[in-house]
Amino acid sequence: MTGAETQPGDAILRMEAIVKAFQSVRALDRVDFDLRAGEIHALVGENGAGKSTLMNVLAGRFADYGGRIALFGREVRLTNPRQALALGIGVIYQELSVLGNLTVAENLLLGHEPAGRLPGTLDRRALAARAKAILDELEFDLPLETKVASLSHARQCLVEIAHAIRKDVRLLVFDEPTASLGGDDVGRLFEVIRRLKARGIGIVYISHRLAELPLIADRVTVLRDGRVVGTRGIADCKVSALSHMMLGRELTEMFPPKRNTPGEVILKVRGLTRPGVFRDVSFDLREGEILGIAGLVGSGRTEIARAVFGADRAAGRCECLGRPMRRRSPGRCMARGIGMIQENRKRDGNITDSSVALNVGISVLDRLSNAAGFLGPARLRQSAARMIDRMDIRPRDPARLIQTLSGGNQQKAILGRWLCRDPKVLILDEPTQGIDIGTKAQIYRLVMDLAAAGKGIILISSELFEIANLADRILVVREGRIVREMPGPGTDVDALFTACIGGGNG
Amino acid sequence: MTAGPRPTVPSPRRWRPSFQLIQAGTVLALLLVLCAVSAVQTKTFLTWQNLVYNLLTNAAYVGIIACGMTFVMVAGGFDLSVGSTTTVCSVVAVLALQALTGQPVWVAIAVAVLVTGAAGTLLGAFNGACVSYVGVNPFVTTLSTMLVFRGIALIMTHGGQTESVPLALKNTFSQLYWGKVPLLGSEAYQITVPILVFVGVFAVSLYVLRLTRFGHYVYAVGGNENAAWLAGVNTSLVKAATYAICGLTCAVAAAIYTGMSNTAQAASYYGLELVVIASVIVGGTPLGGGSGGLLFTLVGLLLLSVIENLLPQFGVQEEYRNIVRGLIILVVVAVDVLARGARTRARRT
Repeated sequence: MTGAETQPGDAILRMEAIVKAFQSVRALDRVDFDLRAGEIHALVGENGAGKSTLMNVLAGRFADYGGRIALFGREVRLTNPRQALALGIGVIYQELSVLGNLTVAENLLLGHEPAGRLPGTLDRRALAARAKAILDELEFDLPLETKVASLSHARQCLVEIAHAIRKDVRLLVFDEPTASLGGDDVGRLFEVIRRLKARGIGIVYISHRLAELPLIADRVTVLRDGRVVGTRGIADCKVSALSHMMLGRELTEMFPPKRNTPGEVILKVRGLTRPGVFRDVSFDLREGEILGIAGLVGSGRTEIARAVFGADRAAGRCECLGRPMRRRSPGRCMARGIGMIQENRKRDGNITDSSVALNVGISVLDRLSNAAGFLGPARLRQSAARMIDRMDIRPRDPARLIQTLSGGNQQKAILGRWLCRDPKVLILDEPTQGIDIGTKAQIYRLVMDLAAAGKGIILISSELFEIANLADRILVVREGRIVREMPGPGTDVDALFTACIGGGNG
Repeated sequence: MTAGPRPTVPSPRRWRPSFQLIQAGTVLALLLVLCAVSAVQTKTFLTWQNLVYNLLTNAAYVGIIACGMTFVMVAGGFDLSVGSTTTVCSVVAVLALQALTGQPVWVAIAVAVLVTGAAGTLLGAFNGACVSYVGVNPFVTTLSTMLVFRGIALIMTHGGQTESVPLALKNTFSQLYWGKVPLLGSEAYQITVPILVFVGVFAVSLYVLRLTRFGHYVYAVGGNENAAWLAGVNTSLVKAATYAICGLTCAVAAAIYTGMSNTAQAASYYGLELVVIASVIVGGTPLGGGSGGLLFTLVGLLLLSVIENLLPQFGVQEEYRNIVRGLIILVVVAVDVLARGARTRARRT
């Protein structure tokens, strides 16, 4: 599997002064990056720092990049994915590309199926034999004839990896492979990665979980706003130093000091259960309290919040301001003073092809219109314009279509949607996903202000430092259960991470 | 537009027309060119007789239903059953008038029209309930109700045609179609009742879709139903209501056009749904909904009607006409798709 001509330690990839712009935005600004054979080089940075863009350049997805790339000592120009693949570059994306309705064996040989005797037919026996050979080589223990959809997420990842590792692969990119894995699976994945490393394959490991880097990486490169902040050997840097490099300023600057003390209980959740997803979830939320829910992707944290908001059915009881809420739906919860920002902005947030004004005003149309349902365009525009000012949404044009705004501004518009409504309880699911750091700081300040004004906030985030610094109290969710309650703010991020993956006594 | 107290993010924003405006503009340009050419080439096109009594009066009933269809399609739905719904409504209108013989003329007609409207709304609401509360795909729902409603019309007419509207009501009732109102007091320039009704339906629809809370919800549901639901909108009710509105417009069209012949046939209005849907699509309301609207539909309706009017005038033989109709729809939508594609590609690089 290793390239015959490379020895461990030889440079196999050198990217110099890589530049890539999207319209007027410079996603990569003269980025240098290199990789040696048998090395695991971690690439870290905030959302939007340019990690994925850099790797997409390497995967041949952008033909119009600037700068030079040398692979195995030869200068190359990567213009299409097939060429990158032929040069021995494999990429394992975070979004799995396995096909659930096919078996493991079929997935492994997708596009390279052995032909049967009759034209257009498939030699199933050869298919199984070759798939088995691939898995044996990698020492993966996977059932060949099982449909991929019925495997656990972690094992689907293994299928994805096995699919990406062709015979001639010499350079592998892992794009946040642990984002949705639990503790045991992370350990198993690390073993696989180390085994690949031992074969002399160069590995780029993208992550924003800093805590796991010492376990796996040799070197770390930090990207911020499309530039390289620095490259360090893992031995001579601390996690806190890395997070400082990543964010570009002290955390204390981004998180204003706490001012509020939680008051009366306003939301009471008891025994919330959805079979197979989460069970027996109970918690209270107080006036002016920021309650953090931490957990891995897939731990059930989003599903719990959706069930409270009535977006999914679940058994169990919810009480808001002392009154039980039966047959919850988003509309009913809204009427009772609960709002929720969804994690997937594109799918669940943006009202596509509509103006910012409608996107902001949608939850208060009943208040803006008169008794007969009349709603003048000026009314809606003015209401939206006020929120655009308050949230500092750019550009300041209520008539713009929502999808033409940047991610951060879209998020502010959707936050504004709920602020118009002035709910008592606001659930924020990944409120800072995919937005720039300046907007993040704005959102942190907003969350603090809302809590200070007596709102109850439930905050869900993959960025553990957000929860650790914002929340008054943290619930750790693992495999659909609340396994631990930790005090905030100022909780140790590393301890929180350990609790999430189920290490220690968690 | 981006002026603010602080320097804003670089916004190289030149005014760019939306996709719908591009398509509607294309259609409008095509329409004007066609009219100009016909005005020069034929002596008959640019006459009051042709434009008003013929072209617009024929366009009116399609237009009335297209208003309702615009609601359904902006919300992301689809209604194939409008032809059958209109047929059932026309049968209901005639049967109601027969049942009301002996009542004062205006009372009878008013009640019959109300009953017809109720029938249309009910049929539309049935479609809406299937689509939004049961969750059957709109295409499948309205494909089946297209057959079911047609069958109902057959049963109500005992297999074909109703008796004529009773003599006592006939003359007055037929005014709904044949009536003319002098324009500016001139006998030479008169407007027909169907056109007036269309203008009324169009104005009310425009008001509801653009200037009410419900109208905004319709756009929101078409833009992203899931997001609208999560923002607290009762999306099921909104969707169901659009179908009910569509049914109501079918009833209005049926009431008027039954006055033309004073009878109702179970085999009428075949293919009406296609003309109506074509008008909405050609105007620029996309199949997925979320944008477009009534003014777009008006432009699409006029283009298709003008072509319909011109085909015989330019001597296009009947057997070729469907090819022309079909190609026009395809070309207009293809131009739109290509324009979108060009812009999306431009954005990627």
